[in-house]
This record gives sequence, structure tokens and C-alpha cells, in this order.
Amino acid sequence: MSNTYYGEFGGQYVAETLMNTLAELERAYEEAIADPKFMEEYHYYLKEYVGRETPLYFAERLTEKYGTKIYLKREDLNHTGAHKINNVIGQILLAKRMGKTKVIAETGAGQHGVATATGAALFGMECKVFMGTEDIERQHLNVMRMEMLGATVVPVQSGSNTLKDATNEAIRTWAKEAEDTFYVIGSAVGPHPYPKMVKQFQSVISEEAKRQHLEKEGKLPDVVMACVGGGSNCIGMFAHFIDEQDVKLIGVEAAGLGIETGKHASAMALGRPGVLHGMKSYLLQDEDGNVQIAHSISAGLDYPGVGPEHAYLKDSGRATYVSVTDEEAMNALSELCKLEGIIPAIESAHALAYLPKVTKDMTMEQSVVICLSGRGDKDAHTIEAYFNGEGYLN
Amino acid sequence: MNRMEQRLQACKQEGKKAFITYMTAGLPDMEGCKKLIQTQEAAGIDAIELGIPFSDPVADGPVIQAASYKSICQGTNLKGVFEMVSQVRKEGCEVPLIFMMYFNTILYYGIEKFVEKCIEVGVDGVIVPDLPFEEQKQFTDVLNAHEHAPIMIQLLTPMSKQRIPMILENARGFVYCVSSMGVTGQAADFHKDIRAYLKEVKSQSNIPVMIGFGIRTAKDVDGVRDLVDGCIVGSHFINMMEESGYDMNVAKTYIETFKQELNA
Repeated sequence: MSNTYYGEFGGQYVAETLMNTLAELERAYEEAIADPKFMEEYHYYLKEYVGRETPLYFAERLTEKYGTKIYLKREDLNHTGAHKINNVIGQILLAKRMGKTKVIAETGAGQHGVATATGAALFGMECKVFMGTEDIERQHLNVMRMEMLGATVVPVQSGSNTLKDATNEAIRTWAKEAEDTFYVIGSAVGPHPYPKMVKQFQSVISEEAKRQHLEKEGKLPDVVMACVGGGSNCIGMFAHFIDEQDVKLIGVEAAGLGIETGKHASAMALGRPGVLHGMKSYLLQDEDGNVQIAHSISAGLDYPGVGPEHAYLKDSGRATYVSVTDEEAMNALSELCKLEGIIPAIESAHALAYLPKVTKDMTMEQSVVICLSGRGDKDAHTIEAYFNGEGYLN
Repeated sequence: MNRMEQRLQACKQEGKKAFITYMTAGLPDMEGCKKLIQTQEAAGIDAIELGIPFSDPVADGPVIQAASYKSICQGTNLKGVFEMVSQVRKEGCEVPLIFMMYFNTILYYGIEKFVEKCIEVGVDGVIVPDLPFEEQKQFTDVLNAHEHAPIMIQLLTPMSKQRIPMILENARGFVYCVSSMGVTGQAADFHKDIRAYLKEVKSQSNIPVMIGFGIRTAKDVDGVRDLVDGCIVGSHFINMMEESGYDMNVAKTYIETFKQELNA
């Protein structure tokens, strides 16, 4: 039991039908990452297809404004526009190695769906993406992209008709079709070994960033930050710094309209341990133990739970988790556009929005690395509506 | 031996197959739900699975999902179901009651408090589809520490294979054999290796073997009747109740007919 857990978090809370499937997956995964050929192939596609390594960009004007060195890890420059593809390449190569011919995925905003559809096209696999009907409505562009890439988008109408429900439906389908189907989970969530696997395939972010920072500064950064929904870009950004005790790790959750309003997505601010999607972790719940609907202007952070390793890092005190509101995130987004000429995803803007607070007592001799997890093209409509005062599309 | 074990043993002694239904707690409302339990008891049901609605029922198909959602929207919660069960027991109902619920509901209520409350009101069994064997210790430790605690029902599936002995080792009450892969409420096309799978379970089990998932009529289990001690109907029963507007006569006729045909 212990190796499936991070402290008291994690585990395998799935139906008996899936237990042998998870065991098979775990065996195949452990073998694959110990196989130099597999890792070589993974890195080949990351370099030649995804376009890695991504730059660790010294943000000159932000640095000037905040009085400490600010570096952006440019995951937004990856093919398909975000970090999601790192993990998808790893999981689909594993699926292929296991002899599976079909992949399924869940998606909220559509970024993981697009990345999975892309990987499936690249490796000639059949792909079904589950998406809540609410999300299909508001993320039409990504639905079109997935379909162009040859994937079938399956509308999910149950519960809140969003990511959480799409995930439920993907799990149900997986239970039925596991014999020839691989479930590509998009975040550092789900039953073991998913959180571990997603971390492994996203850890390339910090592997590069650590080396790049050492090259540029001759030392480790003082602070490393990333936004947290389920927590995949964040765990990837933390991975190679977790053992470096002098590096402060900060995860930024979405506070939506404000934690006090109840309309937020900060599982670690107000959630309590619960079980959802195969894992035990912090979870937003109502007074009957039902899962509460999260709220954030960013569809990618709009998730009521959080990856189990984050829950553990929080409880052990190794990482700090904070939250910023929709408004703070949108202001930070605007600031990055104007100061650096980069339109970030609204998700990534949450990490940027914590800069004013974290840099307050920092000097020019110190540095902050922020994971710029994705680009903002997909959010153009939301951004426009927000700044026109029309409220949210998300 | 608790009510459930006694009833199943009685079935065995009479040479009869047992019949269990699943119903979502709180539907059509708490009062109607109580009446449905009593009607089923009068019609001769051997045990009732009472589904505690949860927001994210990943082991369930569309019918039970919709029923759970409806019930939650009407305000059903665990506390209310405990009150209803307590009431129905006070009114003399002795039918074995099994809670079918997701682990988060127990965790949130508090494992210790949950077990004590089950004992207090008279819950005989608990089925937790998202708590596989490897995660059960946190729950079974508490169950085992209490006399008259409800029995944790173990689930097996066509995929369980080498896991069967481990799961059966300390299993009590009955073993719930899922007939196919996937979720509740699919059509009755059992797994292609259904007979081999049930044979395997039957040969290793010293408690009754019940089959469930995708069953509508007694005829659906014809092909495996010799390998099971009874069967469970869920989604189809809920569909019938929803469609008839919870007509108690429909429930009564269905159960009587099913039991008769199952033992014909």
C-alpha cells in the first residue's frame, strides 16, 4: 500500500475491474522508464516534434519592475501551446509499447484533449476525448482542433457537465474498454501510478530549468513558482528542486471571485481530504461530502481536487500554496502582454499574479523562476469579454 | 449471524436462489422510499441495496447517475437516510439492508461515526465500489473493532483473476460478482468468459455467490443459474420505478414474478 501513497495522500480508489489494469500499467511504466531506448525515444519526440528545450527567458522589464531577477520557463512555446504535450508524448509512447491501439482522455478547456488528439494522430491511434457539454459550448475552437486532428469528442452530460464529469465518464469507459484502450490522464491526479507517471513526464521542465538557471546565474534560484489546478505543470516545475532545500517552492491556486465568496478552485485553501477520481487528496466538498463545483475564470484550474503529491508537499511544509483571484490573474496577464510582449494562458497568469507579493522582500541578487505553462491564444475570447466588462465566458 | 447472513442461509436451506434489488435512497422522496422498502419486504425480497447518492458515481451507468443526481437535488444526504432507516426499522421492517455508497461519503461522515450509526439503526451490509481490497484496511479495521458492524461485501469482476483468492479470504455475507466490465446498467451481455469466471469463484467461495450488473429478468441469468446463489437487479428496477411513477404494485409484481421464475 505504502508505495502508492504520498504520506496519507494518493492510493488507488478505483473499482475492482480496474485493479489489474492499474497493476499492468504500473509494471509497463516501471519497465519503460528503466529502458534507455524508451527514454531516448521520448526525448527524441520532445526535441524534434515538441520543440524542446524551451528557453528559460530572462524577463528584463518584469525584473526592473519587481526588483529581483525574474525568469520565465517558456512552456508556452511547445507545440500545441502548453506543457500538456510533454506528458502526452510519454503516455502515448507507453500505450504503444503496451500494445494498446486506442487512447481516451478527459478535457476541460480542451488543451489536454488537443494534446492527446495530436499525439494520437502522430502515432496512428484511435482517440476519444470526453468533454462536458458546458465546456464544449465555451471552448468551441479546441473542439474543432480535436476534430481536425481526427479525434472523436464525446459530449458528457452528467452532474455539472464540466471537467470533473468528463473525468468520471472517461473512468467509466476505461473500465469497460481497458483491454485495448489506454487512458491518458492530463494532470498529476488519478490513481497510482498516474500522479507519479505524469510527474516523471513533466519533470523535463525543471530538469531543463535547473540546468539553464545554473548556466545563467551560477546558482540555484531562490523561488520557483507555478500555477496549480490538478498540478501537472507545477509538479514538473518542482520535481528537480524538491531536494534543494534552499529553493522556496510556491504553488498558486485559483481563488476565483475570492476564497471568502465560496466561488473558487483552491482545494488546498479550504478543501479537506477526500476521495475523487481514484485518489485521496484535498478536495472541495459540501456539507454532505459531495464534491463541490470549482470556480475560476481559467478553465484549466477549474478543478475541485489537486494532485496527491501537492497535498503531501503542503502538509510536509516543503512547498507553500497560495491563491490569487480572477482579477489579480487578469491584471498579471495584461501586465505580461505589455511589459514582455507575451500573451500567457490565464492559468499561467495566476503564477505571475503572485509576483508582487513574493518579490516584496527580495533583492536584485536573488531570482524567481516561474513556469509559463501555456500561451493565451485559446483564451482570446475570455480575455476580450473580461476586459470589456462582459463577465466570463469561462 | 446478522439478518443478511441469516436470510441467505435460509435461502440455501430451502434450495432457493436469492433476489436482491438496488434502489436509490430518497426517491421518489423519503416517505416513498420507506414505502418501497416495506413493499419489497412484503413481496419477498431477500435483501435491498440502498444506494446513497453521491455527486460523482464513477461505477454507475446513466440510470443510477440520473437517479443519484435527482435525489441529491431533492436534498437526500446520509444523515437523512440514516433517519429513514431508523424509522423503517422501528416500524418493524426486518429485511436485510445493504448500503451501496462511495467511499468519500463515509470518509466525510467519519468512519468511526458511520459504523456506529449503521449499528444503531440496523444496516446489515456495505458495498463500496471505489474501495478496492488494497484500500480497505482503514475501513475494515473499524468494522472489525465493533460487534454487529455491517458486513463489507466484496466485489469480483471478470478481470479479477489471480486476485480472487486474496479477496475471498476474509469475505463474509456474500460475494458480489460483477457480470461484465464497466458500469451498472448496461444490457445483459455478460462477459464472454462468464461461466469460467463464475466457476472459478464458486469453487473458491464458501459464502453465497451473487451476480449483478445488466440483469433485467430471471431469464437473463438462465445461462449461469447453476453457478450462482442469486442475483441483483439495479438500473432496471430503478427505470421501472421511475417510469411507473413509483407504483408500488409494479414493484410488488416484479419481485414476486422474478423470485418465482428464478426458482422455477
